[in-house]
Amino acid sequence: MLRNSLRVIIIAALGWILFQVYSGYSSRDELNELAGYYATEGLSEVGAANLVTSVVVTYRGLDTLGEVTILFLTALIIGLMLKAEHRGDRTRLRESSEFLVTASHVLLPVIFMVGVYIFINGHLTPGGGFQGGAILASTLILMLLSFTNSKISHKVLEITESVSGISFIVLGILGVILAGGFLDNKILPLGEFGKLFSAGAIPVIYSFIGLKVGAELSTIILEFNQIQGTDDKSL
Amino acid sequence: MTNLFSIEYITIFTSFALLVLGLWGIISQKNIFKIIISFSIVNTSIHLLLVSLAYIRNRTAPIIDSAVDRVNAAEKVVDPVPHALVLTAIVIGIGITALMLSYAFTMYKQHKTLDINQYKSLKW
Amino acid sequence: MVSPIYIIAILLGMAFMLGLLSKSGTRIAGILTSVSLALPVYISISWFIQILSGNADAITIFTAGSVPPFSINLVMGLEEAFFTSAINILGLLGFIYLSADLKKQGVRAMALYLVLIMGLNVVVMTRDIFNLFVFMEIVTIAVAGLIYLKNDNQSKEAGFKYLVAVGIISLFFLIGIGFFYFYGGTLNIDGFIAANSVVVKGATIAIFFIIISIILELKPFPANGWALDVYQAATPGVSALISSGTATASIFVLYKLLPLGSEIWLQILTVVGAVTFLGSNFLGISQKNTNRLLGYSSIGQVGLLMMVIGFMPQLGSAFKMIFFSVFISHFLAKAGLFWLSGIVKKESITDWGILRGSNIALFLFGIFLFALVGFPPFPSFYGKWQMVMELAGTGRFIWIVIILLGSFFEGLYLFRWLGYAIKGEKSNEEKLQIPWDKIVPPFIFGISLFIAAYYANSMSVYGNTINLIPLVFILLLFVIDFLPAYIKNTITIGAMVYYAVNLYPSISDDTLRVVFAAIFLIGGILTMIAGYSVKGKRKGFFPFAVMMYFGLIGLIEAENLFQFFFAWELMTLGSYILIIRGKFSMKHAFNYMLFSLGGAYLIFLGIAMSSFGNTSLDIGIIGLSTMPGWSYTLLAIGFLTKTAALGLHIWLPGAHAEAESDVSPMVSGILLKGGVFGLIVLFLAMGGEQAASHPLLYSLGWLGAITALGGNLLAVFQEDAKRLLAYSSVANLGYILFALAFMTNIGWLSALTYSINHFLFKTLLFLAIGGVVLRVKTHNMYEMGGLIKQMPWSFIAVLIGIITLAGIPPLSGYAGKWLFYNAVITKGWYFQGVLVFFAGTIAFLYCFKLIYSVFLGQPKDRFRKVKEAPIWYLIPQFILIIGIMIFSARPDLVLKPIGALLTQSSYFPSDSLSWENVTASTNLGYWSGYKIMLVIGVMFAVLLVWLMYMSRKTQKVKQFNIVYAGERPFTPETTHFSHNMFSHYYKALGFLSAPLATRFWNITNDITHRIADGSKRLYTGNGQTYLAVIMAYIIIIYLIMF
Repeated sequence: MLRNSLRVIIIAALGWILFQVYSGYSSRDELNELAGYYATEGLSEVGAANLVTSVVVTYRGLDTLGEVTILFLTALIIGLMLKAEHRGDRTRLRESSEFLVTASHVLLPVIFMVGVYIFINGHLTPGGGFQGGAILASTLILMLLSFTNSKISHKVLEITESVSGISFIVLGILGVILAGGFLDNKILPLGEFGKLFSAGAIPVIYSFIGLKVGAELSTIILEFNQIQGTDDKSL
Repeated sequence: MTNLFSIEYITIFTSFALLVLGLWGIISQKNIFKIIISFSIVNTSIHLLLVSLAYIRNRTAPIIDSAVDRVNAAEKVVDPVPHALVLTAIVIGIGITALMLSYAFTMYKQHKTLDINQYKSLKW
Repeated sequence: MVSPIYIIAILLGMAFMLGLLSKSGTRIAGILTSVSLALPVYISISWFIQILSGNADAITIFTAGSVPPFSINLVMGLEEAFFTSAINILGLLGFIYLSADLKKQGVRAMALYLVLIMGLNVVVMTRDIFNLFVFMEIVTIAVAGLIYLKNDNQSKEAGFKYLVAVGIISLFFLIGIGFFYFYGGTLNIDGFIAANSVVVKGATIAIFFIIISIILELKPFPANGWALDVYQAATPGVSALISSGTATASIFVLYKLLPLGSEIWLQILTVVGAVTFLGSNFLGISQKNTNRLLGYSSIGQVGLLMMVIGFMPQLGSAFKMIFFSVFISHFLAKAGLFWLSGIVKKESITDWGILRGSNIALFLFGIFLFALVGFPPFPSFYGKWQMVMELAGTGRFIWIVIILLGSFFEGLYLFRWLGYAIKGEKSNEEKLQIPWDKIVPPFIFGISLFIAAYYANSMSVYGNTINLIPLVFILLLFVIDFLPAYIKNTITIGAMVYYAVNLYPSISDDTLRVVFAAIFLIGGILTMIAGYSVKGKRKGFFPFAVMMYFGLIGLIEAENLFQFFFAWELMTLGSYILIIRGKFSMKHAFNYMLFSLGGAYLIFLGIAMSSFGNTSLDIGIIGLSTMPGWSYTLLAIGFLTKTAALGLHIWLPGAHAEAESDVSPMVSGILLKGGVFGLIVLFLAMGGEQAASHPLLYSLGWLGAITALGGNLLAVFQEDAKRLLAYSSVANLGYILFALAFMTNIGWLSALTYSINHFLFKTLLFLAIGGVVLRVKTHNMYEMGGLIKQMPWSFIAVLIGIITLAGIPPLSGYAGKWLFYNAVITKGWYFQGVLVFFAGTIAFLYCFKLIYSVFLGQPKDRFRKVKEAPIWYLIPQFILIIGIMIFSARPDLVLKPIGALLTQSSYFPSDSLSWENVTASTNLGYWSGYKIMLVIGVMFAVLLVWLMYMSRKTQKVKQFNIVYAGERPFTPETTHFSHNMFSHYYKALGFLSAPLATRFWNITNDITHRIADGSKRLYTGNGQTYLAVIMAYIIIIYLIMF
């Protein structure tokens, strides 16, 4: 009882603190200097129509590198952790229904293409490497659902992941050598604003990010999938 | 007072409410999975908070297209920076949640329980 | 110079690249990983050296071809270069250490490791708050992965708790970042500071969330249950990384982010740090699990670092040096200890005896512990000294007390641990396996400690006043430890002679110092001569013996209080190791250390209080103290722990009695004088004669008298010969204290005579009894008896010794007594004088017991064939006897100059002794050692001749010419007269010898442990409770702030 009331007090106090914060808030109606810069100078400096992309891939490129690293790490650790649990026979899973299998045959390439489209056009339209990568990974989920007993090679995913990761870093280093600094997108010509081949290296970088994120999320999904059925059903 | 019913106030309030809710879940739920879900709720509430802080009334997404001119973009769009941050934060959240889940899984494999009160082999 | 951005590129690139290697390629992967960890070491160190030497300026690394605040920038300045160097070196060595474990898990685990080190580097270098967040998350995730490396139940549990706790903390950080950007309009740290955005109320809340998260990452007490679990459950190699690596990065982040907030954060940080340092170390004292204990210590040290940062404005220009020395000690020692723990593989500290299997590991273990506790010459000693002095300068004594108390608790558990390692049980079957890859990293860190010590010394204000050559000599003795004992003994004696010869001219005009220097150095040489009887290598003895003697001499040579304290600590450390070498010394040495540490910190506090309001640190400032009551009392109690005044004496009997035969005289006859010298320094600073009516002196006089009585009473009832001598030392030091407390010319003269006498006869007696014990292998006197035939020389030595001890004419003990009663009468402390007189009578009893039980009476069967004590024991004994004879016959040789010095100095101008040749006189009477010697000599000779004449017809009776009536007793010795010899006195006076002090300290100890043990239950092991505590912590700090 005491523990519960202590919990209530803690949460109430936190709520009270947050309410203080809330009452201190008042909305703004101007972009601040930094955002203003991105919306004006940034357009010509980076050349990406999607401002968020120009911030994500170029100005805050180092964050993005960190971000893919996090996914990389997560996939890697989950691999390490679940590797030990793979032991034992997997119960053979039930075949999927005819509907799902047939539909998958049609849908898989389409979804895959949509994913690729989204990360290639990340500098022009909403979306980008992460979103595209996530869609790529979703094809894997569909595959796992429809072709329940197929074997999917880890190796392909690992190589995709490594190669795109290294390419990301190489592009970053090229920025130091050829342009103004690490992950500078101006190592390629900025091209004509609003076109596919524009914004310098952004589409290239975003493609690698897309592939890498796709591969990493796929790895995570695969790892979790592989422990499925190794234990009782209550899980 | 009309302000208070403007969308950014509502979303910020909602995000704080979700935050408190999630924190409550974290310290009161016994099931490890529910704790992880509560963690996700907290995580999401903060994403909502960041996006709300970026919002400026009557403006649109920070993408130059037919709706927004290159020239007056600065007067037309909301702040792109928090959006970029949220993108990163979401991915980080996914990573941490996935890791928690796999920890939970391996813990369950050992003890066949998800009750957090059963995991007290380390103390004092 | 290579741009620091390549640190990221190399580490991360290699991590990604490892994915391409097949699972079997662990060998190649290992090599590649080592290389890619070595390159950042090169990069960061070269930056550090270049910037430090002024050849390069700090650089900012821009990314994205843009400038901040628009893009992220990294900075490589002096501080960043230092911290990244530390992290990268740790990274490389930690990898070597962990490589076996990592290889088992495959290539991926190595990639994980690389990413961790990369993350730490960026966390240090980045100047963008969100970037900081991202890379902190990388570190968190990588650590969570490494915790799993051990793959057992505990590590899973700990890893989960860690992940959730740090996850929650980082979410609060993220809220902070959101508002940081909202109000500040930037994510750049420098930009935010420049714009002074805190002025806005909202930005305050942003900074609140940001800084509180960083503080929580630093595991403040009590919101740190998760961290303790991690330290305990992870592989020690990983715990080393967490303790030294991530904590390093986090503390730097805190340092980096503090300017964002207002001044009040500094104060909060101080409080948080103090609570953590004190709380964590306090709870550590009842912890037995090795890694968890190290966890407590780690958290405590980080707390201290937080305090240092919190006091930044008060510490001023000394901040850098203090931070460096505290940090580097923690960094090197903690990683080293965790690494050693991984080699020893013992869960409980009580099982660490196995460490003795390796000299090098034991050596490293020792220096890591000493560095943590803050013994000289390790960096944290300088750091703590400077910090305490700076705080004292602004009158912050409560904080000093907290620092010292925390350090005391830390010393307590670390020395208990050391005790187990040096003396704990050890089974012979178990062998310590030390693969090279596990010992190289701690070895390098151990060596680095000495290098760091050198730098701390040169950065310290008073560091240049320390003579480092003897320290190098001590180190050299460690290096040549493989040589046989007699070679090392000769080298040591040679060094001491050389030192003495060199020292003499510099102090020759100060007789007081000469006397003590002679006690320390000549005593040292004499006791070292006894050491020749030890066969074999006598590993680890000589460095610490030299350390103790160097410390003692340092007290005399000290010109300022820093040198004095430095020497005091060296002496303590050296003597502790000497004492613990005895067979059953573990507990006693621990007690000794406990009291010594406590005493040392009281002295430290006393010095700090004296320095308040004074600009210099000359020894004389004690007398100028603006809080004389506090300073004097603290210093006096501190010195009294060393002289074992009654109440503070309980460590002495065990420590002196159980020490090795030739160590007992060192720590009894000689070491105790260190405390006496301390008192002399204090009393002189108080102003000599003018302070004679000081109330402190009055109580010390009483204390001395009671100590004299109590010590002798306790000595009488001992069966153990060495304990008897030990208790007798307590009493003798009581006399000295009593006589010093007179604060008169003659009183001091008598105190000094007592000091010299005590040195002479106690060293003699301990050597003689030590020699006997060496032969008969027992301390119990009733088991001995009749040894006069086997050991006539030892008998003579003991006889001379007890005559001196008892103050019987003609030997010099009488001189002391004569002066003493003169002083008592002049001073008018009659009642106390009677007590001391009574104590003197009691001394007769145990003197008789000593000589009778050991040498006279019936010889025991099993000792019929024992030989005389080793010649190496007899030589110093007879040198001492010659000394006693000279001092008895010609006391004027020593006392005249001392008297002259006392009289001429401004301290004791009045009521001096007047000398006429060999005859001394006061207005109460006169005395001549020479004449007394002559008279008594004649009387003795006459009596002897008469006795021999009378006893020429006596018939010797065979020993077994008696018949026992009835049964044969099972332990015949106990029926002997000399067993329980003074039982009739015990009936009358026994109540006085009840171990009240021991009981008191036991209860104190017990209560402390119970409280610590009870408070530890705060860490219930429930991860959820830990999270609730974290939230409560945030709330409390919020309430303090707003």
